[in-house]
Amino acid sequence: MCPGQEFGTQVMLKIDNLRAEVDGKEILRGLSLAVNAGEIHAIMGPNGAGKSTLGYVLGGRPGYAPTGGSVRFDGVDLLELEPHERAAAGLFLGFQYPVEIPGVSNVQFLREALNAQRRGRGEAALSGGEFLKLARAQADALGMDQEMLKRPVNVGFSGGEKKRNEMVQMGIIGPKLAILDETDSGLDIDALKAVGDGINRIMRAPDKAVILITHYQRLLDYVQPDFVHVLEAGRITRTGGPELALQLEREGYGVAA
Amino acid sequence: MVSTLELPTPRMEEWRWADMQALRSAAEAEPRVTGLDPADLFLDLDGPRLCFIDGAFEPAHSRPGAVQVTRQIVSSTHPLASLAEGEGWSLHIEPEHAVTAIQIVHLGSGGESHVPARIVLAEDAVASLVETYAGVGWANRLTSISLARGARLMRSVRLLQDEGFVSVRDEAEVGEAASLVSIFLGAGGMGSRIDGALTLTGKGAFAEMGGALLTRGSQRQECAVAVRHEETDGSSRQIWRAVAADKSVASLAARVEVARGAQKTDGEQSLRGLLLDRTATVNLKPELEIFADDVKCAHGATVGELDKNALFYLESRGIDKARATAMLTRSFVADALSRIGEDAVREAFEADADKWLGGTL
Repeated sequence: MCPGQEFGTQVMLKIDNLRAEVDGKEILRGLSLAVNAGEIHAIMGPNGAGKSTLGYVLGGRPGYAPTGGSVRFDGVDLLELEPHERAAAGLFLGFQYPVEIPGVSNVQFLREALNAQRRGRGEAALSGGEFLKLARAQADALGMDQEMLKRPVNVGFSGGEKKRNEMVQMGIIGPKLAILDETDSGLDIDALKAVGDGINRIMRAPDKAVILITHYQRLLDYVQPDFVHVLEAGRITRTGGPELALQLEREGYGVAA
Repeated sequence: MVSTLELPTPRMEEWRWADMQALRSAAEAEPRVTGLDPADLFLDLDGPRLCFIDGAFEPAHSRPGAVQVTRQIVSSTHPLASLAEGEGWSLHIEPEHAVTAIQIVHLGSGGESHVPARIVLAEDAVASLVETYAGVGWANRLTSISLARGARLMRSVRLLQDEGFVSVRDEAEVGEAASLVSIFLGAGGMGSRIDGALTLTGKGAFAEMGGALLTRGSQRQECAVAVRHEETDGSSRQIWRAVAADKSVASLAARVEVARGAQKTDGEQSLRGLLLDRTATVNLKPELEIFADDVKCAHGATVGELDKNALFYLESRGIDKARATAMLTRSFVADALSRIGEDAVREAFEADADKWLGGTL
């Protein structure tokens, strides 16, 4: 049985025996995982295990090619969708290294993104005023300076500011499922807490779910996962509760459970 | 007629990327109805307006104000600019006077047209000018510019001809503490040659010539600009962006010359090309020729494709690929157009660039 399946009835994401290649090399080798609405899953594992690849394959990044298995998101074949259609379907990918885009302001980018998603779902676009109100509220909640909304996307932002900005984006977009790739890397303790609070506030809801991809246990002090999985050599080898993360932190990945 | 017999050839180094075949075809094209109304080519600005149709002044669509329509003898030795004789326009502004939002529209219906222009600003005079090229045919222009001490000229030129060829040549002398900024946008279907020779003749002068060339299909556009510093404490900027799609060719050649004794010169040169297709070409030729020893000249020249990380980042936020490509391409040319000082003009140029992107991607 896939982890997570025993709770509730609403499976949001079902990954079944997923295989994927990058540059002709197989990275994911039969990965299975089920995520129900209302759950937070942490995926931990050593470097090179395929953690980021999993995020990119789910997000549809070119060059990360699925070669077998299936992924269903709310009953839809996720792998058949273009990246922007996955976003409109409710998937949010938080980047380990958010990209700098000179010449495009945060506000312009986010309004365009949100309205593209809304159009994709057959909803009306938000006006400039409505959007600004939403953006300001989210920036405030994440402790991000309002001025940064006007600046070009991530340009000149520190590592911590970029990650906060990812959370502001997540708050504005309001996805169903967030896959957050090493969102804790490069954060000082205050930023870590702000990001953790952001994840709880935005995503801790009965109709939402989170996959936290992380190398370290420390973010899990702020965001309590329902399940912790160990990803090794392209598949999930162990699953447990929050105690598994603590055990891994103590003993490393090399020790059998 | 003419003139096309004596055209430069690619064997001449300064003309190696020039598309003289497109120029010749444009010059020989039979006139045709373009369906364009000159009134639609003016921006909604209060200021003098001049319209030239096939090189002839068109009073019905003009209100020249301070600008005079004159016949001019041209002394340029430039192979194309030297042909730009006859009826043209001139602007002379008295000391400490200002004339802003002047608009010149050049509409062509085929064949060749030659128009000389002269801009003379006296001490501390100010002018701003927008020029628009539309229609078809070969439009050949020479603009001679002379700025006295403290004078300031802001010039924005957009090349929007559907087809044909536009050749513009600027010859400018920038005096002490004077400022010349000329920004070009090539966003039509024509071939082009934007040619400039700017000389900083006074201490502390500032000269800038830059812009964006957007090419697609089998189109070729190019700029060839030389900025010469002859006095101390001058600064200059050449910020050019080229975006090339399909099998088109965009070429940027820019030179900074610093004469012996022109100490404390501050030159900035940035040439960047973006290939939207692997079949497109961007040529860059940055040149520095420095004979003074206390000089700062920042320069950079790069050609590349859109950043795939950035593209995926935008797509992952729900923006489709065509729109994401347009946003990133727009951001690529943004800093070249951001030099246009007047908001309404800059927004119009940005809208022209957007329209090009919309039709290309």
